[in-house]
Amino acid sequence: MSFETFRALIQGWAAAGWLPAGLTHGFLVNALLSGLVIGPVLGGLGTLVVTKRLAFFSEAVGHAALTGVAIGILVGEPYTGPYASLFGYCLLFALLVNYTRNRSNLTSDTLIGVFLSVSLALGASLLLVLASRVNIHILENVLFGSVLTVDDRDLTVLLAVALGVALPMLALFNRLLLASFNPALARVRSVPVKGLDYLFIVLVTVVTVASVKIIGAILVGALLVIPAAAARVVATSLRGFFLLSVAFASIAAVAGILLPVQFALPVPSGGAIILAAGLLFLGALLARLVMRGDEG
Amino acid sequence: MSGRRANGPAILFDRVDLTLGRTAILEQVSLAVAPGAVHAVVGPNGGGKSSLIRALLGQAPHRGTIRLDWPGDAPGTIAYVPQAVEFDRGLPLTVEDFLAVLCQRRPAFLGPDRRLGYGEALARVGMAGKGRRRFGALSGGERQRVLLAQALIPAPDLIVLDEPMTALDEAGVAIFETLLAELTAAGTTILWVEHDLAQVRRLATRVSGLNRRVLFDGPPPEMLSPDRVLGLFSAAPRSMAGALAS
Repeated sequence: MSFETFRALIQGWAAAGWLPAGLTHGFLVNALLSGLVIGPVLGGLGTLVVTKRLAFFSEAVGHAALTGVAIGILVGEPYTGPYASLFGYCLLFALLVNYTRNRSNLTSDTLIGVFLSVSLALGASLLLVLASRVNIHILENVLFGSVLTVDDRDLTVLLAVALGVALPMLALFNRLLLASFNPALARVRSVPVKGLDYLFIVLVTVVTVASVKIIGAILVGALLVIPAAAARVVATSLRGFFLLSVAFASIAAVAGILLPVQFALPVPSGGAIILAAGLLFLGALLARLVMRGDEG
Repeated sequence: MSGRRANGPAILFDRVDLTLGRTAILEQVSLAVAPGAVHAVVGPNGGGKSSLIRALLGQAPHRGTIRLDWPGDAPGTIAYVPQAVEFDRGLPLTVEDFLAVLCQRRPAFLGPDRRLGYGEALARVGMAGKGRRRFGALSGGERQRVLLAQALIPAPDLIVLDEPMTALDEAGVAIFETLLAELTAAGTTILWVEHDLAQVRRLATRVSGLNRRVLFDGPPPEMLSPDRVLGLFSAAPRSMAGALAS
């Protein structure tokens, strides 16, 4: 089924009153589709990010996207989707952090702090240079997300990335987890610890870059962390942890896309998605408090 | 042990040197572990016991030869029981989830693959019925038992134990003894790093004293004499040895 057919189907259902009236607009169907494609992947990958204690790392990769966008515009890529520079810079950033982390005597958070600061300084400087060449307000879309401008090309990229990330993530889920529990034990069980370490970095980077258009460079890392953190708070097993994280990320994505349109709220999509995720996290915390109260 | 067929390999360490930075961890270590033996390695902290294991498992660059001679044409199954696993204690991970992460290819969040015998392995370490308990909420001794259980899936031909009794309580020690007897009966080769000399004297078929070098190697009753043990634990500390070497 092509995107066009899918759009027509959803618009038909919305016109018939079976779905919210807003979905009669094709751009909103695109937005919803993008959220439904990337949300579950971010939620699933997020469980590994949280378990491997890479939340700060994934946030840093997301923030590196800011500099990637600036470089993309500087070298003449379209500001609506400078994917080559975005991906290239974020991957370089992530691999460099990982390589240095394995070879320095610094703790991860210190090292990531250094790299993140330098990267942001570079991005801010480049953006200031660019301010005289492009309408700087256009960059707001990149910084905070612009899901309503998602086109078929973006959807194709998202779908390819979602499949390209989800398949290895599912196939190697246990091994990725085991490598973080005890590398020696993992190696005895034929897990290529170092290789998987780098693969995971690449997966996080790819999904981050692909999500920039929806969530924005500033907030993209949060959708890898908040749903998984919320799920971790209430789950009692790995199954619950994974499934709840996927559900929370998907709900946050859909709610963040639909609610501002439904209620005519002047909120960027990225902000709305992360606020929705934040509310879910708050709800999870409250649920845990209530459950503990029952236990006590 | 006579008459029992060993499924496990013989292990030969031949003049193994391991250096970290400028510090010699192992020097000219030569050891022969017989197939089906319960071979204990004892020595002071920092004496290179864990490094010997890492070298055996191919995880520490070393000079010299480490060879595994398997009884058949194909290598068998190697299991490893580490001292501990590093993980977030609050992680929503049940004991069965933990075993599933280690032992199966199907994503652990889809549930444990019952065919792999997690329940039976847990029962063998006295953890029957505790598969749904949160792994992070277990006591140190219970966690150690689960680490022993994972080493039983699949059935090992060589098992490498790194101080497995550290956190075990009295019941856990009894279970460990039974397990060791079962593995020995199955012909498994057991390389066992241990600090409890009394247990080694009772359970091992051979013991090597290691403090950077092999200081003794033979049957436990003869090797673990007060003089030898004193010599092993009072050998020059590494810092002094390093200073002398430089």
